[in-house]
Amino acid sequence: MSAGTPTDPAPGHADRVEAQAADWLARLDGDGWADADAAALAAWLEAATAHRVAFLRLQSAWQETGRLQALGAGWQGQGVPPRGIWHAAPGDRRAQLLQAIAARPPARPRPRATGARWRLATAAGIVACALFAGWAWRDRQHVDAASFRTAVGEIATQALADGSSATLAGDSRIEVRLSRGERRVDLLRGEAIFAVAKDPSRPFVVATDGYDVVAVGTRFSVRRDEPGLRVVVTEGTVRLQSPAAGDAARPSALLPAGSVALVTADGVLVQSMAASEADHLLGWRDGMLAFRDTPLSQAVAEFNRYNTRQLVIGDAGVAALRIGGNFRGDNADGFVRLLEAGFPVRAERQDQRIVLRSR
Amino acid sequence: MYAVPMLDERRREFPRPRGRRIRYGARMPDALDRWFLEQVLVHEDALTRYLLRHWPARDEVPDLRQELYVRVYEAAARAVPAQPKSFLFASARHLMTDRLRRSRVVSIEPMGDFEPSSVLVDDVSPERWSGGRQALLRLADAFDRLPDRCREVVWLRRVEDLSQRDVAMRLGISEKTVEKHIAKGMRMLAAHLFGGDEAARAGGGHEDLDDVRRHAD
Repeated sequence: MSAGTPTDPAPGHADRVEAQAADWLARLDGDGWADADAAALAAWLEAATAHRVAFLRLQSAWQETGRLQALGAGWQGQGVPPRGIWHAAPGDRRAQLLQAIAARPPARPRPRATGARWRLATAAGIVACALFAGWAWRDRQHVDAASFRTAVGEIATQALADGSSATLAGDSRIEVRLSRGERRVDLLRGEAIFAVAKDPSRPFVVATDGYDVVAVGTRFSVRRDEPGLRVVVTEGTVRLQSPAAGDAARPSALLPAGSVALVTADGVLVQSMAASEADHLLGWRDGMLAFRDTPLSQAVAEFNRYNTRQLVIGDAGVAALRIGGNFRGDNADGFVRLLEAGFPVRAERQDQRIVLRSR
Repeated sequence: MYAVPMLDERRREFPRPRGRRIRYGARMPDALDRWFLEQVLVHEDALTRYLLRHWPARDEVPDLRQELYVRVYEAAARAVPAQPKSFLFASARHLMTDRLRRSRVVSIEPMGDFEPSSVLVDDVSPERWSGGRQALLRLADAFDRLPDRCREVVWLRRVEDLSQRDVAMRLGISEKTVEKHIAKGMRMLAAHLFGGDEAARAGGGHEDLDDVRRHAD
């Protein structure tokens, strides 16, 4: 019998095309992918719609396997989990994890949200990034450059192309350059928390004011501010490199989790605390500001990142007051009322600003 | 034996977000591709079951499905159908009709049997794209069906995030072999995930239709 008219693909055609598509994708996933390969693949994809649809279909399936990480997240044993473990009785950690994931809407964390929603988004969001952002093909020759900024009062989490993410505090700005050998972020203004994707071959460097904060797969925040630079490490270890001074080697300090480094004109002061406590300092992510024996001038600067109605220090006496506590970042009014109640402070409420003076 | 490091706390808390877009050609990840994935491919298992039910030679179904995808994709390139699912099944019906006519195979089934209304009612919601627990378990099942070595390779590559080269080193096999396992894994996973394969296996009982197909000569 004939295989039909010439317009019918020969039997087994789909199978062969699928095999080719799989070969392409597997090579693309590998380490030896070159520009020439990309051109050849583009040509292959253009050659027939059958190629394209087969490729899309397999690519989509492979992408889906990125979510195995969510399953793997609860797995603590050695090696590949045994088959069928996924159906274990609920109550174990993995099952809870699955439920948590299932309960979450399939969105990336919103760039902007407030209060409880934000907390939820942060808790689930970081997981969500991994689940839904797709996969990381490495395009090594390429330099990805991007710039992100937030307005006063805005907190935004930005997924970076390498799989890391940056959460920007209000009134902050970063510039990101991802290249083959290095991931470089310039912190131009404000503060950002970085959750760094592991990639030993490409150090993640946050540069600000001549200092380099270098990390490989960790979480930390960097802030540039009036008194100087602050680095908070909540996971892993980062290296803080001072600006090069003449011929001398750049002095550097290793900051383990729980470190808070304050860099001022006078030098670097490293404080160690429990990582959980250090994490409090990053409370702004959840809309909360935390102060520990902080000069009021600094606290006010912090509030001003989140409120258009700015707080103004009226005199040196007020500036020097030291305060502590946790406050909602968007509730400057409440903060001022507390100050008036507990400190010798008088607030002058004007249209666009609140001036704080000694009483 | 080889040692596999445990997933660390960090990974558990911050599964690596992946945002890198793949670069393989100027035209690639465009709206049409996305449309195809989200509106057409999600119906693969219903579609495959439909084809198996109505097409007498089951080994031809993958070819049929591919041709159908090509037709639908090309049609959508001209004008995106308002109702993708109905369009898909209507196209399936037309394709089968065309093929039967052209290959001069006589079907004793009236053409009306291709009516896809029942398929359209028993809805396969595209919820696997929405990240439900069901979808994860489906993925786990698909993963569990891979042969041992292939499963191991996929795990190391996708969960432990080792490069193909590192996977090869870990397992003491060549990079080429790793690549082959990945290619194979992809195909098997696609078959399970999109359900076509499932349907093929569960679709037994249509063998008795084989005698329905007779050559005109």
